[in-house]
Amino acid sequence: MPIGEISAFLLVLVIVFVFGNLWFHFVETMLQWLKKRFSHHKEPPTWHPLPQDEDNTRDI
Amino acid sequence: MGFFGKLFKGPEIDMEKSNANAKKMRVLFNQTVEDGDNYRLIFGYTEDVSRFNYGFVHGSKTKIGNLIVGWNEASQTIVVVPTVPDLSGCGDPAYYCRSEILKAYRNKYPTDAFVIYPDKKGYIGINAYDWLEDEKLFVYVSQAEELTAFTDFFMNRFAAK
Repeated sequence: MPIGEISAFLLVLVIVFVFGNLWFHFVETMLQWLKKRFSHHKEPPTWHPLPQDEDNTRDI
Repeated sequence: MGFFGKLFKGPEIDMEKSNANAKKMRVLFNQTVEDGDNYRLIFGYTEDVSRFNYGFVHGSKTKIGNLIVGWNEASQTIVVVPTVPDLSGCGDPAYYCRSEILKAYRNKYPTDAFVIYPDKKGYIGINAYDWLEDEKLFVYVSQAEELTAFTDFFMNRFAAK
């Protein structure tokens, strides 16, 4: 197979890959936006940050 | 050790980093769980796999949730605290007392996760390994001894049908 045909085939694969990725992220973004728009507002879960001044030298 | 010796030996555990993370896990656990020192700890994680089909693009997505898992032999209780790989914080604990759960068993396929059904509505599958290298996804901690102890506790004193 000539090098030109191989390059063209690889280029098509790259284009399909890039377009697939763009399509995936586009759909994901739209779904996130729709979820945010139409779902009820939920309180974020409680989060406890790691204390900075805590004595971290105790053994497990 | 020569270059090839090091190459074939595989990845080595940074014990300094592992110990520091083990201490952070203990601090986080103790600040959210009452009498936290009565629990032994391991790191575990949950995997949420979902399939998607967006026209000509389809596949699966995996969400990883990091967990600090504590267990108390005397009260036969497992406590699960959600956290993040850098251990900068944690969420509220969930308690699974053997006398209150519906069932618990160790899965065989697709992963050998520790599965707990607190009731008929939901379940939690805890995956645990002695060490996971990927710091971006998992807490970097070496825990071979703790994992053996937890497996023994779960299989022999916690599992219920």
